[in-house]
Amino acid sequence: MSLRRYWDIARMRLRTLARRDRVDQELDRELHFHLEQQTEENLAAGMTPSQARLAALRRLGGVTQIEEECRDMRRTNYIENFWRDLQYGLRTLRKSPGFTTVILLTLALAIGANSAIFSVIDGVLLRPLPYPGADRIVRIFFHSTVFPKFPLNPFDFRDFRTRLKSFESMAGFTRGDLRLSGAGRPEQFTGFRITAGYFHVLGLAPARGREFNASDEIAGNGQSVILSDRMWRTRLAADPNILGRKITLDAQPFTVVGVMPPGTEHPGNAYHGVANGETVDLWWPFTFRGDPNQRGSHYLEVMARMKPGISAPRAQAEMNAVMAQMRHEHPGALEGWQARVVPLYQEIVGPSERLLLVLLGAVGLVVLIACANAANLLLARATARQREVAVRTALGAGRSRLVQQMLTESLLIALMGGALALAVAAAGVRILVAMLPAGFPRASAIHLNAAVFAFTLLIALATGFLFGLAPALQAARADVQDALRAGSRGAGSHRGHLRLRNGLVVGEVSLACLLLIGAGLMLRSFVKLLRTDPGFRTEHLLTATVSLPDKTYKPAEAPRFWDRLSASLSSVAGIRAAGVGTDLPWTGYDENIGGFLIEGQKAPPGQDFHGRYHAAGPDYFRAVGIPLVRGRFFTAQDGMKAPPVMIINQSMARRYWHGQDAVGGRISFDDHPKESDWLTVVGVVGDVKDRPTSPEAENAFWWPIDQSPVYVNQMSVAVRGSSDPAFLANDLRQAVRQLDPTLAVADIRPMDDIADANISTPRFALFLVALFAGLALTLAAIGIYGVISYAVNQRTREFGLRMALGAQAGDVLVLVLRQGAKLALLGVALGLIGALAFGRVLGSLLYEVRAADPATFAAVAIGATTVAALACYLPARRATTVDPSHALRSE
Amino acid sequence: MSKPSDLIQGTLDLLILRTISLAPMHGWAIAKRIEQVSQDALQITQGALYPALHRLEQQGWIRAAWRKTETGREAKFYEMTKAGRAQLSKELAQWERLSHAVGLVIRMAEE
Repeated sequence: MSLRRYWDIARMRLRTLARRDRVDQELDRELHFHLEQQTEENLAAGMTPSQARLAALRRLGGVTQIEEECRDMRRTNYIENFWRDLQYGLRTLRKSPGFTTVILLTLALAIGANSAIFSVIDGVLLRPLPYPGADRIVRIFFHSTVFPKFPLNPFDFRDFRTRLKSFESMAGFTRGDLRLSGAGRPEQFTGFRITAGYFHVLGLAPARGREFNASDEIAGNGQSVILSDRMWRTRLAADPNILGRKITLDAQPFTVVGVMPPGTEHPGNAYHGVANGETVDLWWPFTFRGDPNQRGSHYLEVMARMKPGISAPRAQAEMNAVMAQMRHEHPGALEGWQARVVPLYQEIVGPSERLLLVLLGAVGLVVLIACANAANLLLARATARQREVAVRTALGAGRSRLVQQMLTESLLIALMGGALALAVAAAGVRILVAMLPAGFPRASAIHLNAAVFAFTLLIALATGFLFGLAPALQAARADVQDALRAGSRGAGSHRGHLRLRNGLVVGEVSLACLLLIGAGLMLRSFVKLLRTDPGFRTEHLLTATVSLPDKTYKPAEAPRFWDRLSASLSSVAGIRAAGVGTDLPWTGYDENIGGFLIEGQKAPPGQDFHGRYHAAGPDYFRAVGIPLVRGRFFTAQDGMKAPPVMIINQSMARRYWHGQDAVGGRISFDDHPKESDWLTVVGVVGDVKDRPTSPEAENAFWWPIDQSPVYVNQMSVAVRGSSDPAFLANDLRQAVRQLDPTLAVADIRPMDDIADANISTPRFALFLVALFAGLALTLAAIGIYGVISYAVNQRTREFGLRMALGAQAGDVLVLVLRQGAKLALLGVALGLIGALAFGRVLGSLLYEVRAADPATFAAVAIGATTVAALACYLPARRATTVDPSHALRSE
Repeated sequence: MSKPSDLIQGTLDLLILRTISLAPMHGWAIAKRIEQVSQDALQITQGALYPALHRLEQQGWIRAAWRKTETGREAKFYEMTKAGRAQLSKELAQWERLSHAVGLVIRMAEE
């Protein structure tokens, strides 16, 4: 096609748009000319002038219609019509402020909630991770039948690093906090010990200096450290000459070799976990020490960057193949382990994905309900406007033109609702972010941004189309003559109309039930969670972490320190018990040991005896509130030289002693124990699960601190008072300072806070789903109210007649309520069936409640029906107050 | 609302294009000419003619200008554009093919 033609077309349309009057005028003249020609011809044929003109007019047909069609042909009339419809729509909306307020508010809330949830999804799930080429980064774990994700042994890691071909680079990291001593109170900083190439795997580079290389991995090469931007700015005054400077960390000199740029996010880790985000202050080199043939201890977390074109399953297959070789070289070391390669994205956001998708589903239902409501309101108004529509049709408005006008109006409403929704979303996002569960990944990436705006616009347009289509088609289908002929009420003729409205209400009720059941199930599981005995006592308990630098506290000296700290704390007035242990409940502690011996028992093949190991001082259990089930707690007598003893938990006693008394039983960690290598179980304590939502408690045992084979230079301190534990913080700091003024007391938190953080995810989910369900129920109630009240208006005459014939008010009430109940019950039934079908998506968000929980279903059925009945009651009451004589006269 | 025309839209376009391919004409003359040539078999109603003219103009196949008629009156004359000529020959070819094909089918049915 020639350019010329496009130019002609464009010029033509522009002219039609810009000079509409002129074009219309020309059209008029053109038709006029035609008319004259025809008249002349008729005259020539011998008609009288008036006859000739009349015949010509008849021949021409409806001038307006021809003109309208010619305008149609010019295409641009879409734009003109749209503009006219828009103005008309605005005028109509202004004329009925009640209608406008209800519909805009409904849409603003529903769309706003969607946008708010979407902004969370956008930030957490959709936005790429803040690492270049993040899709090639994977986390590497070991897994066995018992442990789904286990860290690696450093020497195994080193072998993998040299042998694997799937990866461009591979790095290990493990938690290593350091204390910075300087002016004022010593402070502890979150640190990681990392191997060479750690930042290369993440695709990051220091803003200043360099990252660690192979020589940093050799012990004795002098300590170096890389600082976070925040640490460099807040603690070292953004010193421009920081590189090469020595700073004292944990009483040792460290040379600063690099500073990371702002926005360096920790990818999150499981073992001594630190949440994903800008949570890490410093990194120092991981060094390979000890005997490379001793490969029992697993604590190194591993990350790698795959070469382009390599997939995670392929990398995993290669790793397992290499592992088979290594099994030959180090018999026994890798028995029972398999490699597991997980994309980093999945590792970071995987646990939140289901929660977010469930929330998106919930708000999606809310917006559908809002659509149904808006459609219902529009339908109700369409009835009122039926005569207007009929008149317009009679005057020659085409059906498609009417649909177009109606849709323009609904889109206008939707867009206004969408604009308000943005305000709702802006507030909503702020509230959401503040409410996010503890440790929620990527919270800092959640913002209102262009994507959220686009999403809001899209949803607004889609809802406008959705809720506008039904009324528009309905109006266009209406029979002109019928409507014009009908009385002032425009009544009677739209059975289909009513059916559509009824259908919408049934749909609304069923969707609301679906949400209510979701909320009900979450409420039930949350209550169960709260009612479950945690196995310890959270109230009046203050916790903290104290760590002793290796340099000043030799392995034998650390236990002395803890004894003295416990003793000094116990003597403080107001402290009822103070204990020291390797960890606290519900803090993610997950140390394990496997392969020990139990006297007189043989482990089933492939299933080592295993358990979480801990060390604890004498008063630890009393302070934390873990009850003694049998035997005794540790005492001061369980010293270094005393006979070795241990305390186990109930789960371990039950699993390994099978209901027999475990006290007096013996365990050894030596493959060929001498008599002195056996540890005697002296006590059995109550179970505490890893997390309140964990399905069951793990096996667990404790060594007395004095006899602990693992280092005890970083311990948790538990102090139980008799009132608000915050008051104990000073006593605790003072007790530590008196013993050693260089020590830092970190993580001072009441146990209640820890417990609270642990149920924050189910609480968050419950709150939002319940909020959405409440919104849904309200909207559905408004919907029922609207339909029934409309029906009552329609039947005023009938009710008047019935009452004139002797029906009592009660009879009429029942009549109306029955109509509403039919809709409500049908909706509830559909909702329950839907919930049965979709309940499974809640899955892991539920705790000890089945998705088809009969109590929840029954409660929702009754509750929703009651609300529906109440919504019908108001119009029903109005029906009973109909004055028969008035009603009969009204038409 | 059905179109007040018995002619298929495409056919009407073809007739109009063919008619004005000889000389510029105004709407009334176009309708008259088609009636004459078809010996009154094809009656073009104004309700179909003018929308069609406007459509063809929008598509750039014909151009309109106000000129004086032989009787000295102002009328809107339509004439072919270059693109219109190309379109006409395309539509003519298509029409030939179609009518030939229809003819074949009908004759076969008669036998």
